[in-house]
Amino acid sequence: MRKAKHPPVFWLFLAPVLVAFVLVIVVPFLLGVYYSFTNWSATARIGENLAFIGFGNYAKILKDPSFAYSFMLTVVYTILNMIAINVIAFSLAMLVTQRLKGRNVYRAGFFVPNLIGGLILGYIWQFIFNNAVPSIGTLLGFDSWAAAENLVLAKSATALLALVVVGAWQYAGYIMVIYVAAIENIPQELIEAAQIDGASPLRRLFAITLPMTSQAFTITLFLTLVNSFKQFDVNVSLTAGGPAVMFMDQPIYGTQLLAMNIYNQGFKSNDMAGGQARAVIFFLVLAIVSVIQVSVNKKKEIEL
Amino acid sequence: MTDRRRGAIALEILAVLLFLLFLFPFFIVLVNAAKIPFEITQSPLTFPAEWRKIVDNMVTIWTSVNIRYSQSFLSSVIITAASLVLLNLLASQAAWALVRTKTKLSAGIFITFVAAMVIPFQIVMFPLLTWFREIAQFTGIRLLRSYAGIVLAYIGFGMSQSIFMFHGFIKSIPLELEEAATIDGCTPRQIFFKIIFPILKPIHATVLVLNGIWIWNDYLLPLLILGKGNSVMTIPLAVSNFAGAYVKQWDLILTAILMAMIPIVIFFLIAQKSIIKGMVAGSIK
Amino acid sequence: MKRTLAILASLIAFAGIALMIAGCSAAPAKLTLAQGKPEIDAALKAYAAEWSTANKVPVTIKSVGGSSGTDLGTQLKADLAAGDMPDIFAINGLEDYKEWANLTLDLSGEEWVKNTSVAFKVDGKVYGFPVAVEGWGMAYNGDLLAKAGIDPKTLVNYAGYKAAFEKLDAQKAALGVKSVVSMAAALDMGWVTAHHNFNSLLSNGLPYGDLSVVNALLAGDVDAKRLGEYADWVELLFKYADKTVLTTGNYDSQVGAFATGKAVFLHQGNWTDPNMAQAKATFPMAFAPHGSMAEATDGIFAAAPSFYVVNKNSKNVKAAKKFLNDLVFSEAGNKYMVEGAGMIPAFSNVKLNPTGQLSKSVQAYSAAGKVYSWSQYYFTGDFRDKTLAPIYNQFATGAIDKAKFVELMTKAFQGLKK
Repeated sequence: MRKAKHPPVFWLFLAPVLVAFVLVIVVPFLLGVYYSFTNWSATARIGENLAFIGFGNYAKILKDPSFAYSFMLTVVYTILNMIAINVIAFSLAMLVTQRLKGRNVYRAGFFVPNLIGGLILGYIWQFIFNNAVPSIGTLLGFDSWAAAENLVLAKSATALLALVVVGAWQYAGYIMVIYVAAIENIPQELIEAAQIDGASPLRRLFAITLPMTSQAFTITLFLTLVNSFKQFDVNVSLTAGGPAVMFMDQPIYGTQLLAMNIYNQGFKSNDMAGGQARAVIFFLVLAIVSVIQVSVNKKKEIEL
Repeated sequence: MTDRRRGAIALEILAVLLFLLFLFPFFIVLVNAAKIPFEITQSPLTFPAEWRKIVDNMVTIWTSVNIRYSQSFLSSVIITAASLVLLNLLASQAAWALVRTKTKLSAGIFITFVAAMVIPFQIVMFPLLTWFREIAQFTGIRLLRSYAGIVLAYIGFGMSQSIFMFHGFIKSIPLELEEAATIDGCTPRQIFFKIIFPILKPIHATVLVLNGIWIWNDYLLPLLILGKGNSVMTIPLAVSNFAGAYVKQWDLILTAILMAMIPIVIFFLIAQKSIIKGMVAGSIK
Repeated sequence: MKRTLAILASLIAFAGIALMIAGCSAAPAKLTLAQGKPEIDAALKAYAAEWSTANKVPVTIKSVGGSSGTDLGTQLKADLAAGDMPDIFAINGLEDYKEWANLTLDLSGEEWVKNTSVAFKVDGKVYGFPVAVEGWGMAYNGDLLAKAGIDPKTLVNYAGYKAAFEKLDAQKAALGVKSVVSMAAALDMGWVTAHHNFNSLLSNGLPYGDLSVVNALLAGDVDAKRLGEYADWVELLFKYADKTVLTTGNYDSQVGAFATGKAVFLHQGNWTDPNMAQAKATFPMAFAPHGSMAEATDGIFAAAPSFYVVNKNSKNVKAAKKFLNDLVFSEAGNKYMVEGAGMIPAFSNVKLNPTGQLSKSVQAYSAAGKVYSWSQYYFTGDFRDKTLAPIYNQFATGAIDKAKFVELMTKAFQGLKK
């Protein structure tokens, strides 16, 4: 059975993918990394005079407290968001794989937030936090809900939680779909056997469902990690990075996640090469963290 | 038995409540699509005076000369369909090859794909355009402002995640199935298309839906590769003019969202069926 | 089947030959114009179509704007990378110009230059065609002021505003308003505070084009008296603003409060006219000068903030120049600018008047010469958005007091010194 190390079919099946990958990702990525070491502007400012400036763009980042702040904030956000999304998504998936009458409709429903782009979703939630919550508060007799200083988006700590709420609520349905596919892939005999043995639902969850869906966890944890880290749309439309906070004796944006920090550096501050350098650091950190996450998860898969 | 029934009813109620909670934004989109723009920003939670306005808005959007909606719709369908078919076919093939070939090289390729998923789009967006222009100069293949280019880009950007998802699920398929087929004299290609491909149906549906939503709603990549106002346009590009710097025509924006949602919801419901069918097929094996 | 194939093949061959022949003749002129105001897209496209028919030059309009990540700058960068730059494109002042200077054509010799005072110039050369005149001051609701017994003519300095605000605040219930001023200071509204309001500090009371304050600040030289008076003004605006709108509101909620009569004053410009129309706000409204100084000032801030430039490398320079000239000198062009797009034309020969009340108010101030410059563009967007906007935001939320505000602003300017 074992013939060539890489049979022809291996290359046959991989060739188109590798070609597309090199054309669309690899070459532009290397070019992009190169730009981070230059004075590149993406506009006509430097004309044809692209100059190599070494680590100049990287040195500048160290001097900017807003990058360090955004970095820490993004880590906190990512952890909270990953937990929130996966707990909710898995619970939803368990729910809609039960013998419910309208389970297909529920699945579609949980998925709906995803069909509305992040930008619009942010605006809708901004309205909910700024107008709907105070009105409900007044209705219930809690006038303090309507006070400007008590608004969810008025303080950076609660505004960050608001980002988590919206992020989870936008993405849970998406992740749910993956859990659903995994749960439905569990051989029915296993569950039936467990039921006949009289295993409690909780025991079935830990003995069968969780181990049998462990490959899905590798995927979902990775996707939520990467997407939380990359969060941009909701950040821009819901909080726009506000409110401001004092950090290292400077007033800066209190809820600006990394992606927005990078974007603003490139586009608002007209420093495309600087933004590129920030993005490279962002990439390196996220790549390391996610490779660790995936390999840890893969090990778990084998153990289980 | 009655306990079970009660449990089932409780679950059903819980599901309905969650369903309503998740549908809330959709509700906001729906009630506001039929209001005049100003009402939306002032009282977004009330019902509109006249529901008919949604239909009027749809007609406005569909027939406007400036928006070219029907033409953009066709382009969006072509781009999404072509990208999805190619992505699913190529990614499942590649994932299978990677799972079943256990070598360092194979593992290395897989890790590279995974790592590529974390590349911030910003690093590659402008270099991609410069590079596509170079390709056109040297080979004459036009990748900018063309279907070929945007589909290629979606294959490139969507490949990592798709392979990643197929990879996980293919690993859970027992190897004995394939070994039996090999003994029966099937070539590897036949094994893939006759045995593996059908088993993958539920995950195919999942990948289709997730990629489908992304491609259908994407704004930035078409803006870069196709550009606005050129011959090939997608729906998000076409309707973006409703949002100005100062004046946002929320009624038309929200109606456009509704219109763009309809095909995906239908698509999702169809895909759901296939996920279920796949489950049945899986349990027969 | 075979016949169909044969016909198809010959058709393709024919098309190929036709293409080759077409390829031999000189490319016919065609124009592409990229601009950043989607709200005027429909009017501009209609005019462009008319102009195309008359001049036998097809025109493509690309309007890109609105939200973050999707503005004109992104599209222009993409077009440049793709080798597909438009023939005419819009820039916003000096900072944008620096990005595209290598590509902009000297337009000094054009007809329209003589008819405008606000063309975009660098070193005496004209590079930008002013799209429109825009202005802002303190927009007021005439009905509410009359009801409260306040003469808008008193609104010329800090003391005048302070008295008026106190009087109005005491009558809030009777007037049916929620707050005196509709002001926004959330971080995404940084353009209201750190761009527009900030400009009060830079140019209020100075002759048009006077850069003395700007240059002093850029050199890290802070006039404590001027900054102190300005801080009083900012404090006054924040104090009498609706706190919810001030700290978390967006453009729609800020303008909406004024348009629905929930606020007497609005800190915005004449670009809100279409919003007023949307809200069916018909009460009399006009601009009053800012009260950022103890001394009386009698003008509002007016300028042309955005300009069309012609791509130097364009193959269609002639058509592009004609397109711009026709906006100014043809009746259809004037009609488009004023009636179609609702803009205040920047050209003296255009006799049409915009219909919006606030635009009319800006025009009246311009005609009387009572205008102050927009000087905020001499500070980088980076400085205004990243450094100044959070300071205003903290002041608005009450996290810092006036003394700290002055201290942080002073420190920010001192940091500009190279």
